[in-house]
Amino acid sequence: MNRRIAIRNMALILGSAAVLPSCLNDNKGKSVIELKHLKLDAEQETLVNDLTETILPKTNTPGAKDLGINLFVFKMIDDCYDEKGQGDFMAGLKEFSEAVDKKHGKSFSELTAAERTAFVNDIEKQSKDPNNKDKDSKAFGFYWTVKGQTVFGYTTSKYFMTEKIVYELVPGRYNAMFPVKKKATA
Amino acid sequence: MSTNTYDAIVIGSGISGGWAAKELSEKGLKTIMLERGRNIEHIKDYVNANKGPWEFPHRGGRTQKMIEDYPVLKRDYPLNETNLDYWVDEKESPYTEIKRFDWFRGYHVGGRSLMWGRQSYRWHETDFEANAKDGVGVDWPIRYKDLEKWYSYAEKFAGISGNRDGVPILPDGDFMPPMDMNVVEKDVQKRFKDFYKDSRHFVIGRTANITVPHNNRTNCQYRNKCWLGCPFGAYFSTQSATLPAAMATGNLTVRPWSIVTRILYDKDTKKAKGVEIIDAETNKTYEFYAKIVFVNASALNSAWVLMNSATDVWEGGLGSSSGELGHNVMDHHLGVGAGGRIEGFEDKYYFGRRANGIYIPRYRNLNGEKRDYIRGFGYQGGGSRSNWSRDIAEMNIGGAFKDALSEPGNWSFGMGGFGETLPYHENKITLDKTRKDKWGLPILAFDVEVKDNEKKMRVDMMNDAVEMLTNAGVKDVKGYTTDGVLGRGIHEMGTARMGRDPKTSVLNEWNQVWDAKNVFVTDGAAMTSAACQNPSLTYMALTARAANYAVDQLKKGTL
Repeated sequence: MNRRIAIRNMALILGSAAVLPSCLNDNKGKSVIELKHLKLDAEQETLVNDLTETILPKTNTPGAKDLGINLFVFKMIDDCYDEKGQGDFMAGLKEFSEAVDKKHGKSFSELTAAERTAFVNDIEKQSKDPNNKDKDSKAFGFYWTVKGQTVFGYTTSKYFMTEKIVYELVPGRYNAMFPVKKKATA
Repeated sequence: MSTNTYDAIVIGSGISGGWAAKELSEKGLKTIMLERGRNIEHIKDYVNANKGPWEFPHRGGRTQKMIEDYPVLKRDYPLNETNLDYWVDEKESPYTEIKRFDWFRGYHVGGRSLMWGRQSYRWHETDFEANAKDGVGVDWPIRYKDLEKWYSYAEKFAGISGNRDGVPILPDGDFMPPMDMNVVEKDVQKRFKDFYKDSRHFVIGRTANITVPHNNRTNCQYRNKCWLGCPFGAYFSTQSATLPAAMATGNLTVRPWSIVTRILYDKDTKKAKGVEIIDAETNKTYEFYAKIVFVNASALNSAWVLMNSATDVWEGGLGSSSGELGHNVMDHHLGVGAGGRIEGFEDKYYFGRRANGIYIPRYRNLNGEKRDYIRGFGYQGGGSRSNWSRDIAEMNIGGAFKDALSEPGNWSFGMGGFGETLPYHENKITLDKTRKDKWGLPILAFDVEVKDNEKKMRVDMMNDAVEMLTNAGVKDVKGYTTDGVLGRGIHEMGTARMGRDPKTSVLNEWNQVWDAKNVFVTDGAAMTSAACQNPSLTYMALTARAANYAVDQLKKGTL
């Protein structure tokens, strides 16, 4: 990946949030990023980081963490969500974490990538199931918040807009019938 | 001669104020344009115009802080982090809502000409005749023929791109080449035409974005960032168009931070002799004198200026002798329409971001049709193709999902209605003397609502949208509607209406205040009815026409 882009993006995304040295990023104690409203411990922060990476993992192209999308998610929730929204986020985070623990007996970050993917896929499935009596649970709400902001952050990132799609600041013209490859995916 | 003496004073620097300044200074009048807010210099002060979407910390969204600071702006799309500086500081300039009214203001040089929607449509003879025919409000003192040449004049200078569609209800103008419809819009248009023949029309929007170079302005670059200010000057604004023309005459002085508190009325001559201002930065009071005054402070603030003027003669202010000053508040009611999915066209996209859409001009209550309401509505909309904002079946997360996000999604088509609001005497603004703004000035209180005619119209506005899109081949069409609270159209009108009789109108056929013939009001306040077309082009034409008349009368010595 292009490290310089990632670092630049991170700086842009962070804005007022300060980054402390990464050596503090263990699984205990204080979170690494400073937020104005959300009070996260390091484990919670790591869970969200890993969740964004599970949603958009590094492949042959950068993943969520490479692009600082995890930091964007925190910034959006910290700055743009009201007190209730932030409360729901924190409560959902807690429930999500407990659900992982209940199923695996360890934290989300201690799971393998495959286990995380399976767990998250299961969350998606359950939350979309109209017969699931818990489908409105805070854990699901938390998950969709993180996913929504992760996708939003990714698709409005400089990397995405300049390298994955053609975004020109000054298109200069309007081509009303621009040909594209037929949708390749199912 | 005092340095505070000019030939003409223009209050306000938005669309109509800029036009007044241009016309008057081009005709040789030493003119001062007074603007209550700060200066915004063309290009230099468009601070966000060249940023990529990723350069905004919340990618254009709204923070809790912004929501707290802008209790009115937050009610609709204008609250966002990309052009927050262009909207009024609501804490400095509050207003009272007896009934809810969403008032979105821009207090700076250029006013809302910097953020406007740019859709530019002529009115039709039907619109000028409507009040008289329906027995609503008062009759317009002018007809289409009175404004026709001024529409041309305004279009040629402002630069309106559009197609000469030959639609009877929507007169063609002097247009620059139209923008293109995209492949889906063309398809919907074809099906629409097959179904409705010539009874309804589906045309490319007519917009004040230039499509060929014009007066040292560069043609539209398809950035769709108009409301950040255009570094190319490609859309009409005071800054891009009227102000440079006016400055080039050497006759115009612009004074930002100048809040006009009242028009100085001379009882003996029965005319205005000038205006009084408060300097918004220093709080000092100044007077400026001139032979004529153009009031272009935007519809509601123009009424506010009149209400605060000549109160020793008329308690309700200059123009209140009619009993209509501040009454008949109108806007276009909107927030109702439909949208759906388009099948096919997977191998087509569009390049460039077109700041324009399609338009369906009014078709209701014409040619003898009688619905359970009077007047009508038009629609604006367009077809577009999403990229990431779609549900990708079978792919919830992971690398393949990530890759799929960069592929084009489905085409969709949507449109929303703009409905005519009738002039109701009881829909009014008044001075709330119990509350003051930052400068100790009384603020406006709003008592305005949509009534039965609008509510009935809104039923058609949604149902027709669903029906037309379905008939035009759009799939899974869903309609939507909202409360239609006024103000959100940002087309305030009617508070100092034109008319034929000083007993029932504030202005005469030349936009002169009946009670002070050298005071002209040529913004939305002057509108006798609202029609359903976007009104700014009509303000431009009215302003140029009134300025021409004013200078004529000055020369004849009758003013």
